[in-house]
Amino acid sequence: MLKKIFIIIGFIAAILAVVLAVTPLSNLAIAPIIVAFVCGLLVVFISKKEQSKTKTIQYIFLMVVIALSLTIYKSIFSTSEIGDTEQLEQRDEENLEDSKDILEDIEIDEDL
Amino acid sequence: MKYYALLVVFLITFNGKSQNKTIAVGEKLVFSASYNMSGLLTDIAQVKMETSEVKTSKSTLMRLKCTATTYKKWDNFFKIRDLYESYVNPKTLTPYLYKRDISEGGYEKFMQYKYNHKAKLVKSLKRKKRKDGTNWDENKNVTIKASTKDIVSLLYYIRNLDIHKASPGDEQNFNLLFDNKEYVITLKYIGKETISTALGSKECYKLALGLKGSNVLRGNNANLIWLTADSNKIPVYAKFKIPVGNGELKIQSATGLKHES
Repeated sequence: MLKKIFIIIGFIAAILAVVLAVTPLSNLAIAPIIVAFVCGLLVVFISKKEQSKTKTIQYIFLMVVIALSLTIYKSIFSTSEIGDTEQLEQRDEENLEDSKDILEDIEIDEDL
Repeated sequence: MKYYALLVVFLITFNGKSQNKTIAVGEKLVFSASYNMSGLLTDIAQVKMETSEVKTSKSTLMRLKCTATTYKKWDNFFKIRDLYESYVNPKTLTPYLYKRDISEGGYEKFMQYKYNHKAKLVKSLKRKKRKDGTNWDENKNVTIKASTKDIVSLLYYIRNLDIHKASPGDEQNFNLLFDNKEYVITLKYIGKETISTALGSKECYKLALGLKGSNVLRGNNANLIWLTADSNKIPVYAKFKIPVGNGELKIQSATGLKHES
């Protein structure tokens, strides 16, 4: 019974870890990786005690390894640089020109 | 009696029409916005706040510009390219024209407010893109209060307040126009705090922001902003509570300041 619970928790955590590791939120994958790993270890421990074999442990560990390597890879190689801003700069210019025209018609009160 | 004494202090502390002593033309502040979940930090976007001078045939105005750009790794998931600008009187920071041109993950929206302070009226224009690519305009007249501001000019206006005269616990309300609706923003001065930033260790004014009658900025002192306790009052750090974790804004660089720090 206990083994089943740990397998389920471990599996969910491992899947969550892989999903998070793929997204830009890869930093957050660390928490489910730890949970999945601990659950995996507990399942191994219980299996040894009961002298039974469970294949799911392999999948849990496999996913943990994938998620961990992705997270580590991303944290080393991803740099915080901004993407293309050409379109933004163009909109900026257009808005400025348009604003100048609008402001010509607006009466500016120096005291307000 | 105590109440009146407090009221007098309050009125002296925050005087309505103050002169701009803080914001210089050509100022450029760069921030990094990130998401923080129990210590695990993820960078999301770069936020820039810039000022420049705009001349018309009759007068000179100051352009306050804020942009938000997501980092490269986010662009495939949720690309943000936001532009917020406000054209203000350089002496009093009163807004005359406000524009919000946003592009967030494929969603585009344009808002424009033309202020008429004498008539206490704002001519608002909302432009959205239809699915077939054509534009859809909506014009509206919104009545405002005398001191109502947009989000950009309000941020700069807060920096120009005489916070050094306030004592911890003082509060002031501001009227904010956003999405054609008027909101009341409460600003509370909590006290001084020294924090370490990219500009070095700075003594700061710690301020709490709240929104009256809404759940957006809820919680007690959950949305905080730190302004340097000098004559530049640079916003160096801001923290916002979101359902899971915190949103953070940290300064990366500040150039073109009015006063030497």
